[in-house]
Amino acid sequence: MADFNVSSREDGEISVVKVEGYLDAHTAPDLENEFNKMIERKRYKIVVNFSELNYISSAGLGVFMAYVETMREENGDIKFSNLKDDVFSIFDLLGFPVLYEFYKDEEEAIKKFR
Amino acid sequence: MNHFFTNIIDGSKKEKLEKTLFSFVVLVLFKFLFPLVDNSILVILNDFLIYSTLGLTFIFLNEITSSNTENPIPLILNVGILSAILFFITSLSSVIFDKIENIEEVNGIIYTIVSLVISVTFIAFAIYILSALKTLYFLRQKQVTENHFLRMLFVILLASFAGTLSKLNPDLAFVEKTFFIVSIVLVLLNSFRVSWIAFLSKRQKVFLLLISIIMSGLFGLNFAMFSETNIIEQIVFYFSPGVRVFYILIMLYGTIYFGIVFFTTLFHLPTAGAFDQKREEITSLIDLSKLMTQVLDFKELADGLTEATNNVCNSDSAWIVIENDDEHELISVSNIGYLEAEGVSNNLLKELELPLTDVLTLNKKVLKVKFQNDERTYVFQSIIIAPLKVHDRINGYLFATKRQKYKFDKDEIKAIGAFADYAALAIENAKLIKESIEKERMENELEVARNIQSKLLPDENPTSDKLEVDALFVPAFEVGGDYYDYFKIDDDKLAFVIADVSGKGVSASYIMAEVKGIFESLSQVILNPKELLIKTNDILGKSLDKKSFVTALYGVIDKKNGIINFARAGHMPLLICSGGKLKEYLSKGIGLGLDFTDRFNSNIENMEIKLNNDDILILYTDGVTESQNNENVDFGLERLKNVVEDNCSGELSDITKNIFKEVSLFSKEKQQHDDLTLVLFKWKN
Repeated sequence: MADFNVSSREDGEISVVKVEGYLDAHTAPDLENEFNKMIERKRYKIVVNFSELNYISSAGLGVFMAYVETMREENGDIKFSNLKDDVFSIFDLLGFPVLYEFYKDEEEAIKKFR
Repeated sequence: MNHFFTNIIDGSKKEKLEKTLFSFVVLVLFKFLFPLVDNSILVILNDFLIYSTLGLTFIFLNEITSSNTENPIPLILNVGILSAILFFITSLSSVIFDKIENIEEVNGIIYTIVSLVISVTFIAFAIYILSALKTLYFLRQKQVTENHFLRMLFVILLASFAGTLSKLNPDLAFVEKTFFIVSIVLVLLNSFRVSWIAFLSKRQKVFLLLISIIMSGLFGLNFAMFSETNIIEQIVFYFSPGVRVFYILIMLYGTIYFGIVFFTTLFHLPTAGAFDQKREEITSLIDLSKLMTQVLDFKELADGLTEATNNVCNSDSAWIVIENDDEHELISVSNIGYLEAEGVSNNLLKELELPLTDVLTLNKKVLKVKFQNDERTYVFQSIIIAPLKVHDRINGYLFATKRQKYKFDKDEIKAIGAFADYAALAIENAKLIKESIEKERMENELEVARNIQSKLLPDENPTSDKLEVDALFVPAFEVGGDYYDYFKIDDDKLAFVIADVSGKGVSASYIMAEVKGIFESLSQVILNPKELLIKTNDILGKSLDKKSFVTALYGVIDKKNGIINFARAGHMPLLICSGGKLKEYLSKGIGLGLDFTDRFNSNIENMEIKLNNDDILILYTDGVTESQNNENVDFGLERLKNVVEDNCSGELSDITKNIFKEVSLFSKEKQQHDDLTLVLFKWKN
């Protein structure tokens, strides 16, 4: 079983979540906890930085799908940034870029919120 | 003879009562018929009837007195009351009435009745007392035979009978005296079986102390009063001299016995408290052993252990801490607050060099524990920390503390160590059982999922003369959600689908079943792949949960015109190898279940391709391209393309086999974590 780590920092109204390692069915609950914490603290503007993420499974994708709607309902969003090429192609094939916003880096994503 | 006796001794209480009453009635009749017992024959008959009644009454009463062997105090109380009544009757009568002159000649009906009543009362009470003494004799004795007691009874009977004889023949008085003395000796010897006193609680012992000295006194007085002449003594004597001797001996027996009981109890009193405590410890241990078998509810077991530690080891508080990775979790506390226990153990565990391998005793320990709002100081006389060890692995610790004056003694420390071992085993068992249940549950679930999945996939590939079809499906252990299918629309058109449901296990296979149903029905009515997928997405919107989605590639091959029309919903692109060159066809389209608005509909497109002779169409799922080797490198689309191109010109089934071969070689021992699906078509004009 591979490792996964999620951490976050605040940039004003926006929370920047960093995901690292392998996001699959075993590690997805960690990410869910993080999103739950954000909702509890009414932080709905989220940028997820994928620079250290090596792998995402359908379970991992499911987590994002589950929470984006909630964030958008509260005038927030989940924006994706810094994806590695192979990870991006997984999202791309599925058509995620049509539904969600992907950026080359964090700054761009943060700017979009303001 | 034996048979005769066993017939009397065995038998139910009712039968015994019947026999006793029968004998008594005969005795009463005799007394009315022959109020004056003046010749030898009558004397002997008199005694015979009395003794048989006595015997039967004794047998009957013995059953009653022996019925409660747990607590002898009520029985002793009864005996005390009876002896008090005897005392009062005797003493009051001798004060109120003078002795009767010439009693041998008195023979009125009234006298007969009165003498009968009094004699019977006194004898009956004496028999009851004797019966009670027998019960006490055998109380809590494990190994004793009846012989000693019976011998004593026999000698008492002999002395009684000798008493009657000596009235008939005064020269035989010495016989009576001899048996009398022997009886007393035997009574004395038999009175030392008082070990049952040890088993009483301290309170009962104190009570017994008071009661026994009073009773010994009463019996003594009863004995003394019958040694001189007074009205009651006279009445009993003329009822039967033997019975008077019998009565005296019983009163003497009571005096001696309860005197001995008094002194024994007195000497037992200082240790009574300790005895009670030991008994409580044993009870606790027995309760705990019963609890040990209860492995499923670990919390109850842990609570039993901490409680037992307090009861048996005399600690003030006890608690158990379990080590989970590097964290310490408190799972049971007894006689201490949860936060306090947590604070104390965290302090101690930080201080000590972990892990502890043996039981550690700390004496006179002072701890300052920080809580959220304040800091408290705890002073412990003694703390024991016992590791929960299984197979040299430490799973946690059992803590026991004493705040009062004395430290833990050796026995207590040993007991705590034993409890810690119990706890360790129990934790291990509980964990193993939980894991085993979980494993079985998962295996069952996977079994179900695999069954569902295998039923959903096609039995055969619909090869026809223009279109050769081959497929390969290798399921992952955890059932990955791949699905492919064929739908014959008419003689010229064959529809197909390849899909991948997100997630694993039963939930994935469930969605797969629904998806199959949708495709089966829609393929017959909607020929336009894009429209079909849009409709599929709509339908799925009603039942699919937020986290799930399905990728699919659906197409229709028109065999008459050699055209393939397909649409892709988030799935891998269609590969076509034509003239030895592989091309990727990635039409626009997002996965099913990701979006149920117009965005799905407006972002999906059809793609139509004209097929050439010998074209190979390859459909695959990400299980192929995401197969990893030991360095975690994906097989990837490039390798797939290469393999196809290398084998393009061969047999269709060979292409399939070779792709699989390459993937297997690439990923070697790494366990396949996703389903692997390949569907290949070969077109012949």
